[in-house]
Amino acid sequence: MDAAFTYAPLIALFPLASFVIALAFGKYLPTRGALPGIVATGASLLVSVWVAAAVWQGHVHHEVLYTWIAGEDVVSLEFGILLDPLSALMLVVVSLISFLVHVFSLGYMNAEGETGLPRYYAELGLFSFSMLAFVYADNLLMAFIFFELVGVCSYLLIGFWFRDGAPASAQKKAFLVTRFGDYFFLIGVVGILATFGTTTFVGSEGFPQLAEAAIAGGETFWGIDASQWVTLLGLLVLGGVIGKSAQFPLHTWLPDAMEGPTTVSALIHAATMVAAGVYLVARMFGFYAVSPTALAIIAFVGAFTALFAATMGVVKDDIKQVLAYSTISQYGYMMLGLGVGGYVAAVFHLMNHAFFKALLFLGAGSVIVAMHHKQNMWEMGGLKEHLPVTYWTFLAGSLALAGIVPFSGFWSKDEVLFEALLLGAEAPIFIAAYAMALAAVFLTGFYTFRMVALTFHGEARTDDAATPHGVGWSIKFPLVVLGVLATVAGLINMKPVAVVADLDILYLETWLDAGFETTAYGTYTTLVTEVAGFSYADIGPLLPAIIALVLAVAGAALGYRTYAVAEPTEPVKRLGGAYDLVRANYYQDEFQVWLAEGFTARLARAADSFDQIVIDGTVNGISTVSLRAGSRVRRLQRGIVTNYAALMAASIVALLLLFAVYGGWF
Amino acid sequence: MTYQLAPWTAIAPMLVLVITAMVLYIVDSIYPEREHPQLLSGISVAGTVTAMAIAIWYLAAGTGQHGGEIVLFWDQLVVDGMALFFTVIFTAVASLVIVASYDYVRAQPHQGEYYSLLLLATTGMALMASANSLVMVFIALELASLPSYALVSYLKRNRGSVEAGLKYFLLGALSSTIFLYGISLVYVETGVLQLTAIAGTVGEIENVAILGFGVVLLILGFAFKTASVPFHFWAPEAYEGAPTPISAFISSASKAAGFVIAFRVLIEAFPYEVLLELGIDWVLMIQVIAVATMLLGNFAAAVQENVKRMLAYSSIGHAGYALIGLAALTNPGGTNDLVLAAAMMHLLVYGFMNTGAFLFVALGEHWGVGRTFEDYNGLATQAPIACVAVTVVLLSLAGLPVGGGFLSKYVLFMGAVSAGFWWLAAVGAVVSALSLFYYARLLKAIWIESPPSTRVVDEYPVGLYTAIVLAALLTVVLLPAFFAVAETAQIAAVDLFA
Repeated sequence: MDAAFTYAPLIALFPLASFVIALAFGKYLPTRGALPGIVATGASLLVSVWVAAAVWQGHVHHEVLYTWIAGEDVVSLEFGILLDPLSALMLVVVSLISFLVHVFSLGYMNAEGETGLPRYYAELGLFSFSMLAFVYADNLLMAFIFFELVGVCSYLLIGFWFRDGAPASAQKKAFLVTRFGDYFFLIGVVGILATFGTTTFVGSEGFPQLAEAAIAGGETFWGIDASQWVTLLGLLVLGGVIGKSAQFPLHTWLPDAMEGPTTVSALIHAATMVAAGVYLVARMFGFYAVSPTALAIIAFVGAFTALFAATMGVVKDDIKQVLAYSTISQYGYMMLGLGVGGYVAAVFHLMNHAFFKALLFLGAGSVIVAMHHKQNMWEMGGLKEHLPVTYWTFLAGSLALAGIVPFSGFWSKDEVLFEALLLGAEAPIFIAAYAMALAAVFLTGFYTFRMVALTFHGEARTDDAATPHGVGWSIKFPLVVLGVLATVAGLINMKPVAVVADLDILYLETWLDAGFETTAYGTYTTLVTEVAGFSYADIGPLLPAIIALVLAVAGAALGYRTYAVAEPTEPVKRLGGAYDLVRANYYQDEFQVWLAEGFTARLARAADSFDQIVIDGTVNGISTVSLRAGSRVRRLQRGIVTNYAALMAASIVALLLLFAVYGGWF
Repeated sequence: MTYQLAPWTAIAPMLVLVITAMVLYIVDSIYPEREHPQLLSGISVAGTVTAMAIAIWYLAAGTGQHGGEIVLFWDQLVVDGMALFFTVIFTAVASLVIVASYDYVRAQPHQGEYYSLLLLATTGMALMASANSLVMVFIALELASLPSYALVSYLKRNRGSVEAGLKYFLLGALSSTIFLYGISLVYVETGVLQLTAIAGTVGEIENVAILGFGVVLLILGFAFKTASVPFHFWAPEAYEGAPTPISAFISSASKAAGFVIAFRVLIEAFPYEVLLELGIDWVLMIQVIAVATMLLGNFAAAVQENVKRMLAYSSIGHAGYALIGLAALTNPGGTNDLVLAAAMMHLLVYGFMNTGAFLFVALGEHWGVGRTFEDYNGLATQAPIACVAVTVVLLSLAGLPVGGGFLSKYVLFMGAVSAGFWWLAAVGAVVSALSLFYYARLLKAIWIESPPSTRVVDEYPVGLYTAIVLAALLTVVLLPAFFAVAETAQIAAVDLFA
């Protein structure tokens, strides 16, 4: 075993230690716990890189660390560690972002004199721990446990300023909405455990493998055909994914979650909470790859969410709100990528998005610091001159988000679109998904550059914007690191270039094709084509890439032209009713509130009445009858001994007669 | 085996008990004017503990077990696993009661008589466990009962105590006559009194009605001793009026003694299959009595205001559970020995739980707390240790898994289910749930309510505390050690059926 793997569990345990330290001693530390957090996540990053290097050399690792319930002839519940190309990649990404967020927090939280910092750093540590442990979980149940912990930490961090009304409400909403999805996830976990007797991800005894075998063997479970049953289980687990990754219709929590500190938003959106959902689908992709129905649902949910969220991103005034909707939209792309069988494309986009979205949020954080904690873009303008580092890095992130060559987002988004098109050319229904995603490309370009233009270009529209306050190295350093990554990360998998120039430069694809055979990209491709029956057209990648690029550039140019002027106005408002509809987020919040209050609460009240009247009534009735019967007995016992003697004599006679007759003694 | 004790030594526990009683008389007559509570209770507890130790030693050594029962006095007495097992119950309860009595009767006159009567009653019970003929059963029963009547009215200046003793005696006398009449009817038909001899002739009797009447009357005699319906009326009166350690003693040890003769007589002398053919379905009768007893005991306990009366009725309810041990005996070669062993285990655990609960009431009386649930309000703030102990025993009485009571009830109910009497188990489970209600009332009072300002608890009686904590401890220990002890009980049960 490679030495790196021996130390791999530490990747998650370091932040756990920083959690404990910040919680116990944060008050007494000079930075209120930031330093232990930085050291811990830095150490995690180093070990992650070490592990990645080991994986690069072709080693993989799967080990059960702890059996917490050992079953005899039945299921055992275990904690284990799984290090393969996918988890190694994700570990590096998560620990890197977490590390940079910790550093950034020095400038964003400490320098601003926030109170409650030990709590903040403790929660950040716990958050990192949960996510990292989730990433290297070797089975679905363990993944579920840490998935839930991630949710709890998000709850805590979104409500960091819990004394204000809005964060407290937002944290509740985030928790409840994701819990709703997790409910299905839990049923799915239990279902998988009950069906296959294991929740392990890899190996011939892993549940995706067993599912494939069951389908191949034409088995039935509880009278249901194996492929349908697998689809059902997959969709149940998908409930948790849709909640966590903020896909339609459970996306409503995410914009509200902007109430948390911006650093937390960066972490949630780029590397932890929201990423957890998509990562889970990628982690158990072998299970979805055998079910065409589940794949199609994932693809359409993703494509629709991508477009749907992009339209809402167009009309937001708050810089963080725009980013929030862009996150929803971008995770939609990843889902689309997975749904059309583009495993590499989706993981590629997951990684790139982690970099550029962290960059954008931290950039927005920098802007917010400079703007004295104002977030409305209409109050900004002309910040370019004052915040050069922030501007240039933010621009790099924006170009990546908009998908403009050669920034990272272009390569991965293009690959997702390309995969969708290839599938759509053979199965026309997927063309609809492709079209939605393509439309979203234009909108993404538009709202991204609307945001850039309103924030940085034009002239300062308020005094705050005219006299921003400077930002320190702890803010600039993470921005620069991420800016570089957002620019160049895409170069590791340039599919159009590789195909056109016939070069072997698809490094990510090669990377993901290694490792365990059951979780390798090649295996997934085989499953998708042979079991799920997807087939892909043979189209060159160049033309689709150009179409996507043209749309992105057109959107970006339009956004820039409209808003990067001295006195920008809001032309979108002219859309009238449509504008109002989008502005109100399609009344999704109202709809969900109605669902909760108008429907669920009424149902609950009805159930409550039933419980009160029928159930409690029965119970109370029984106890009343019991007590009455008791008092009867009590009245029999009056303390007069002759009565007792008489009763005893009478009972002798009664019993004798009864048994004499019954036994036929005479 | 290189060395074997003479057969008569098998009754050594009984001999130790009776000698201790005599020693107490002698010591007491040396100092007729002054009371010596330490000396008297010390001698008594030494006697009961020695008897218990001998019984446990015999049990461990396998004396009289595995089919090697020791019979004495021309088959009148038998020492086997069951006799020794129940001797352990009687002596253990007696020891706890004596330790607790040290504080309770310290200020009372006639302590020598008190302790010696207690020991003689224990002797009688041990004799009941060994009685092997109907005559011996009757003599032993009277030897246990007569001291008990006197003990109940021990507080001679207390009208309640005297009244309770009188009622107990009158109803006891009535029951004795009924029992004796039952014996005579059986003798008329079979012509023998020794239990196995009855079993040998019972198949060839001429008049079923006479034998049937006899069996019914015998069962009612057992019902009196075990405080089962319909012969339960004396129990709440006697328990309430008696000095509380004596209530604990009668409701735990004396009840167990009633069960041991019921087990032995019914199983040895009246084999169920034979009597069923004759039309004497005594198992059905026991079932009727068991259900009635469980229902009545628990329902009546639920409406009591007086804590001691509540415990009295709960003890009636527990007799109902233990009766399941006889009520499910229709499965020879199958679960019979399991069910009987479960009933024996229940009586053992119950001996500790119930004694602990009554002694807690004794502690309350010692402090002058009062009689009702409300009077115990907030006692936990003043006597936390005793309250923790009583919480354990009460929850165990209710059948929650904090003590052996959970397992003994569980095995009993499972035994009933596997013998096909699911409804017996169902009744048991339902009334157990009900029992949680009235036990919890006391727990709520002591833990949740706030104490009255007028109550002063300024001294902590050592003897009572020791006994209560010991009872709770044994109850808890019998949870993990349950199956180890149950093995002994099962060996005894197997021997009895053999």
